[in-house]
Amino acid sequence: MGIITVLWEKWIEFKRDFYKITLAAMITPVMYLVIFGIGVQTSSHGEPYLNYLIPGIVAISTMTGSFGAITQNMSVQRLYEKALDQVMISPTPLWQFILGQIIGGSLRGMYSAVIIMLLVTPIHTGLTFGPMAWFVMFLNGTVFATIGLTLSFLAKTYADAPKYNAYIIVPMSFLCNTFFSVEQMPNGFRQVVALLPLSQASGMIRALSHGEGIGISGIIILLVYIVVFSSMSVGFIYKKKNL
Amino acid sequence: MIELKNLTKKYNDFTAVDGLELTINTGEFFGLLGPNGAGKTTTISMLSTVLLPTEGSIYIDGELLTRAAQRQKRKLSVVTQEYSMRQDMTVEQVMEYQGRLYFMPKKEIREKTEELLRFADLWNYRTRTVRHLSGGMKRKLMVCRALMVDPEILILDEPTAGMDALARRQMWQLLRRINEGNLTIILTTHYMEEAETLCDRVALINKGRLGYVDTPRGLIDELGGFCVEVRDAESDGQSENSAGTGETAKGLSAGHVTYSRYFSTRQEAIAFLQEQNENASLRVTTLEDVFVERMKQ
Repeated sequence: MGIITVLWEKWIEFKRDFYKITLAAMITPVMYLVIFGIGVQTSSHGEPYLNYLIPGIVAISTMTGSFGAITQNMSVQRLYEKALDQVMISPTPLWQFILGQIIGGSLRGMYSAVIIMLLVTPIHTGLTFGPMAWFVMFLNGTVFATIGLTLSFLAKTYADAPKYNAYIIVPMSFLCNTFFSVEQMPNGFRQVVALLPLSQASGMIRALSHGEGIGISGIIILLVYIVVFSSMSVGFIYKKKNL
Repeated sequence: MIELKNLTKKYNDFTAVDGLELTINTGEFFGLLGPNGAGKTTTISMLSTVLLPTEGSIYIDGELLTRAAQRQKRKLSVVTQEYSMRQDMTVEQVMEYQGRLYFMPKKEIREKTEELLRFADLWNYRTRTVRHLSGGMKRKLMVCRALMVDPEILILDEPTAGMDALARRQMWQLLRRINEGNLTIILTTHYMEEAETLCDRVALINKGRLGYVDTPRGLIDELGGFCVEVRDAESDGQSENSAGTGETAKGLSAGHVTYSRYFSTRQEAIAFLQEQNENASLRVTTLEDVFVERMKQ
């Protein structure tokens, strides 16, 4: 019930800011597609580089869509509007509030992915995104929604949200199996980056879109991130002395 | 019944609330008074579980209040000092969100929203976003939101702050009306007249510690129900205690030292008045006098 309330709140927000959200989800991917699809026309692994890039952009979009939706929103609600107080005081179980936020964030990530799909439809890449690929996108969105939620509870000021973006999201966007393979990275660094959630999601979406199978390890790694960060969020909302 | 037992809140070395022991009875209109930084809002924040106590606990009808205590939280509704609302929601959406958070059926949400918004003269603004409301309208909306859920305990943290005199009087009427049921109300305010008019009992709190707890009348009588203010240009400014009937205060006003002396009977006050020059005046003691005197101690 509390989950539905949070999703209703997210829906209200989505309807009101539909054009802003849609435009924001389009701009960066369009830039990448223009630069690498029209500008720098190159190839990778014997096929157009776009075929390598598009799954990476899908993974980035689900990440930024869900992370941005949660971090920005929760930081404002908690630190600026104090609207979180309304939830804290209410009898809605707080774990339901957390779960609602995570699902809402994941769905926003999925929406960003849908936008990319629509954008690349005119480009005949031959890539296919089946149910399993969508499942990985959802998991990826969930991971970053939980990370965003945890960080928004740690934020001390409203200005912290953009910092998280600069320190976490931007480096991951470029390094995690999106524009080039982690295999090209130096030993030691490569293993660390490969364990990051975006590297896993990007690799799995790419493999699936090329009709290849994926192992269970990537899914397990994403699930571990979800369990760890959602547990931290639940811990914060129930136990943090000064919310 | 609400019981605060050894309620303490510390921020590193600073103690905001220091071992508060207080019982508020069901149906009581209770005022929490204190200067800025006294610990009133921190206490309210602990009552609403936004802050967790460093030590001590809060019991609602004998059951411990925690963030997971759904049954106790269902009884509570809070009007915070800040406009704790989604600024981008409309007035109607704020009310609906509240109803949903308290698991109210949709039909009841609609009916209650209309009833309360009409009562508070906000019905015509129902589609306006919160950020486009005036400060007074936001305050009224917060009270409507709190009443939306038929609470058993209503906590009001300076609900009339920033309201004009007329709006404040309207709010008082509203609060009196809702207190006619068995609703327990806890109010913090800087307006002593408000506390004196509305509250059955008040507690004076300063530097996180509880001072006096009594009815407004009881606190006034304890100080002395009659006040003589003496403005004496020749005084050296040193106060003297009146003979067991009250306390003496001093302050500066228009270059003169002002003494306020309190007496428990009108006769004593008049007798003292007659001893003074023409710069003395007699009036009844107010809760504000009590507040000023007690906060000096």
